[in-house]
Amino acid sequence: MTQERDWNALSDDEFRVIFREWVDANCPEHLRFMRKQRPTFDEVAEWYHALNDKGWLSPVWPVEYGGMGLDAGKHIVYVEEWARLGCPRIPDHGIGLTGPLLIEHGTEAQKAEFLPKILTGEHVWCQGYSEPGAGSDLASLRTQAVRDGDDFIINGQKIWTTLAHCANWILLLVRTTNSDKRQHGITVILVELSSPGVLVRPIKNLREEEDFCEVFFENVRVPAKNVVGDVDAGWALAKTVLGHERIFLGAPSRPEYALTRLEILAKDRGAFEDAAFRSRFAKLRLDLYDLGSAFERFAKVLREGGTLGADVSVLKIFCSELYQRITEEMLTVAGEEARFYDDLMVGDRGIDAMNLYLDSRAPAIFGGSNEIQRTILAKAVLGLPSG
Amino acid sequence: MPRLILDDPDQTLEMLRDSVATLAERVDGAEVFRSRRARDAELDRDLWSEMATAGWLGLLLPESMGGSELGAGELTVLAEAFGRALITEPFAALAVLPGRILANIGGAAAGEIATGIADGSRIVPFLWQDTRGARAPMTLSAEGTLSGQVDLVTAAYAATDYLVLCKQDGELALVHLPARSERFSLSSRPGLDAAMIGQVTAKGVSVDAGSILARGATLDAALSDAIEMTRLALAAELAGVGAKALEETVAYTKERVQFGKPIASFQVIQHRLVDMWGDAEFACAAVTNAVEMMRDATPEEAGQSVLAAKARAGDSAVTITRRAIHLHGAMGFTDECNIGLYNKRAITLNAALGQAEELRLEFLARETAA
Ligand SMILES: Cc1cc2nc3c(=O)[nH]c(=O)nc-3n(C[C@H](O)[C@H](O)[C@H](O)COP(=O)(O)OP(=O)(O)OC[C@H]3O[C@@H](n4cnc5c(N)ncnc54)[C@H](O)[C@@H]3O)c2cc1C
Repeated sequence: MTQERDWNALSDDEFRVIFREWVDANCPEHLRFMRKQRPTFDEVAEWYHALNDKGWLSPVWPVEYGGMGLDAGKHIVYVEEWARLGCPRIPDHGIGLTGPLLIEHGTEAQKAEFLPKILTGEHVWCQGYSEPGAGSDLASLRTQAVRDGDDFIINGQKIWTTLAHCANWILLLVRTTNSDKRQHGITVILVELSSPGVLVRPIKNLREEEDFCEVFFENVRVPAKNVVGDVDAGWALAKTVLGHERIFLGAPSRPEYALTRLEILAKDRGAFEDAAFRSRFAKLRLDLYDLGSAFERFAKVLREGGTLGADVSVLKIFCSELYQRITEEMLTVAGEEARFYDDLMVGDRGIDAMNLYLDSRAPAIFGGSNEIQRTILAKAVLGLPSG
Repeated sequence: MPRLILDDPDQTLEMLRDSVATLAERVDGAEVFRSRRARDAELDRDLWSEMATAGWLGLLLPESMGGSELGAGELTVLAEAFGRALITEPFAALAVLPGRILANIGGAAAGEIATGIADGSRIVPFLWQDTRGARAPMTLSAEGTLSGQVDLVTAAYAATDYLVLCKQDGELALVHLPARSERFSLSSRPGLDAAMIGQVTAKGVSVDAGSILARGATLDAALSDAIEMTRLALAAELAGVGAKALEETVAYTKERVQFGKPIASFQVIQHRLVDMWGDAEFACAAVTNAVEMMRDATPEEAGQSVLAAKARAGDSAVTITRRAIHLHGAMGFTDECNIGLYNKRAITLNAALGQAEELRLEFLARETAA
């Protein structure tokens, strides 16, 4: 594969300008700043395909696999501009999860089979980690895969699988060996959702959108060649794949967007005339500003070729909680209008206060809940003893 | 677990609690919530009739108006029980508020309407607010035609009658009209707690002199008292919502096992739950205090206690239910799990008739003026 140019030879600022111009000109207007956090593949297909045609769908995959091969610094620019221009989130488990996992740990055959189909959108992936009994404690997962000739036979259940009902492949963590050390005996396996014995049931979220699912497996036969890495050694694979991308769990784009909505609403409702509100708004504004500074501190490490430590989790905690505080303030400014489910009107423009408030409940839970993140920080950064 | 603690010499309060609990065994509040939402409805007619039959809609009304002539203690215990059982029919907006206004005004015409509220035959929203909740009296011309627009109307479509706040010659007046006039145009938007919220526009509706129920200072006093009583009911319901959400969360976190232990055994979760419990206790204490102040103190002191109770119970219920969602993990982020419905109900009740900050400022303003 050839690449338009060697992006990493540009400065971050040069890259930013080029990237922004093209995205701004090509991301369809009606997909900008979508109300839905997780649009389905069909809803954003045209943008997905446009990115792929341009060769810009996959920022970090190496060029040889059809990616842009961006270094971490350029990747940050990519994500920042994407958010600034309000581009929709695309179903990105293939790009962000399955792809990197295969590139790092897959066989040549797996790479040849799966990577191109991620780029064309023929395969849409979802992430099958959590189970009813295994949320924060992921290592307790019990969905079982038993070897049978050239196949594995899978039984069990996954839950909270984002967009599984719009995906056709699932990246699955399964138990292949019951061992005293629970992290041992977990295997990563790729499963086609149309396989006999798979049942997907969507679950409505707080916003009454069906964006995550339960996925049931009853005697589902999967070829052993779909195992990624070694059998029983999947835990480390699943844990390492995020790498530098952990910084994006703390990217300020959600609170930033919410703060602009709060500002519009507050101006219209006269809240800025109230000194107490001004003071609260100033606090939120500066929290956001300082989140930017903290984000930069970690971004700099990456730009200089370093790797992130456990301490990056502080961004995720601060960011998700700031997002919540901003949306809670929106409900205060809304006054009696906080009773409305739908958007609040400012002129003929809708401000989706309730939508954002409800959405802001989720980031403190997923991606390792904030309690789990704090526990990691306590141990890994402060070196505190276990209880 | 936190609940209102009130003197109950003849067990009336306990009986009221029991009767709501009995209803809640048959009627699943969460299911009614979801089905009402699915139908874009304003209220659940069957449940509303049952509430009338039970005597709850006329709880405060004098016997001459078909009521049971009970007081603030009974009202709060009932509302608290609704909050706990997630019975989300518009009790405050369609029973307490209009009923109390009519009872305060008195007289035959008001009595007839109030009797209909008590027996469930009439649905009588009070039309008085704009979209943001500010008072928005319609205009009544000298010739007796009514024009204007109001929002935040409960049961705008299901209504049989409207009580309309209006202004004539600079003076406030309360008009009673059948809701079925072609001169009203209606629209509605979904509310967070699964009841549609209506907007009503009147363009030259003719009003005969007999339809004016009250005016001026009499009306003002009737309204202030009715708003106070409705705020008290809202506070009690919020206290019930918060306390029940806490209980559900305690139960869930004791059941939910991660890392080989109930998650409630983790200290950070224990502390969080204790804080939630403290919030719920304070809400119940504030409502209890308001009931006692209404019985024992001056009207001014009672007024302050109601502001405090609604502010405290509102803040507390919103905070508890929000934290409850988080402690349920992804389960809490679903519509299937009831805990989210408690949060939606808490936000709605907290927003009605003034959020906490507004009420606290009013408390301070009154205290400074006194
Ligand atoms: C919107 C959304 C999308 C998701 N998408 C996916 C997906 O695509 N694929 C997938 O596999 N999963 C997905 N998840 C699941 C997510 O990974 C889990 O929700 C998360 O791991 C938490 O697990 P849980 O929900 O079971 O909560 P639990 O682990 O049961 O936690 C409940 C509460 O207890 C707290 N808690 C748990 N353990 C401790 C402890 N040791 N100390 C202190 N507090 C603790 C938690 O912080 C939380 O508040 C998604 C979740 C959400 C909300």
